[in-house]
Amino acid sequence: MELSTEQIQELYIFTRKHYVEYYDVQTELVDHLANDIEQISEENPNLSFEQARDTSFKKFGVFGFMDIVESRQKQLGKKYNKILWSIMKEWFTIPKIMITASIFMFFYLLMSLNINIHYLSVLMLILAFIDIFLASKLSKKSKKRFKDNNKKYLLEDIIFKVSAFSSVIIFSNIFNLSAFLRYSESLYTKVFVASLITLAILYSYISLIVIPQKAEELLQETYPEYKFINNL
Amino acid sequence: MGNQKLYKGSLQTIILKLLETNDKMYGYEITQHVKELTKGELQITEGALYPALHKLEADGLLAVEVAKVGNRLRKYYKLTESGTKETANKLEEMQEFLKTMQHLVNPKFSME
Repeated sequence: MELSTEQIQELYIFTRKHYVEYYDVQTELVDHLANDIEQISEENPNLSFEQARDTSFKKFGVFGFMDIVESRQKQLGKKYNKILWSIMKEWFTIPKIMITASIFMFFYLLMSLNINIHYLSVLMLILAFIDIFLASKLSKKSKKRFKDNNKKYLLEDIIFKVSAFSSVIIFSNIFNLSAFLRYSESLYTKVFVASLITLAILYSYISLIVIPQKAEELLQETYPEYKFINNL
Repeated sequence: MGNQKLYKGSLQTIILKLLETNDKMYGYEITQHVKELTKGELQITEGALYPALHKLEADGLLAVEVAKVGNRLRKYYKLTESGTKETANKLEEMQEFLKTMQHLVNPKFSME
């Protein structure tokens, strides 16, 4: 007997209760459970829907859905990094490399001028604040998206939340780096610090601005169901 | 039921081979198909199947399709072009492996 629409909805709730918060992962599990429940009920017609569901869930082992969620997180995390890396590479080819080089030269020259090292720290602090501002804006946007659709896709979460936070973490560390310059003013130190700052700026710009702008396109490409679910 | 551990390393090859013969399949269908083909000897666990499918998808060997079936959504997997090539490689590797094991386990029969 085919499960009713209400029972399918119940299965979505069931997966959510078992720590699967992403709609894309839920959908695959719901279909699997539904098929199995139908099969179990056919073999044992006396079992209730809940009993058949629990029998099916047991097959997932003691960790339940956790392994599956983790593997999906790992794979989509990799996908995200690939996207980030391919955009990052553009900044090291003509014409964008001119901008990258200018950012690098700006910081390198700033360090070479005989100015108080605190100015650099202040500049880093300002950049860190801009980063936090952009990250919190993204996180708010992600909450609003969830409220509007009531569905959260794993890749969407990575784009809007996870990456934003890693950018903030990188920047707070770069801020500490400028202290490094107090101990050494060699050419290598300056080149090293200026390169790291340049990379951090690029990373932040890409993860906080470029990729979120492409979010819809990336989600449609990853999830064939994305388009027609949102049009339902 | 045989020793499931022995099958573990071959899961990806099994999935690829199934998809080569069946065009497109969904997760539950794969578990049932394997059970049927091996007469219950091999039962792919849910906790192993989906991570393997997700990995193959991430590696670009499988593509996904989603269709509405009745009142629910179903995710189908099928081979990509590079998936088809990789299936041939993996099957060849598997043949080699079986041959080597045969030599090791049963040296008498492998004298050529």
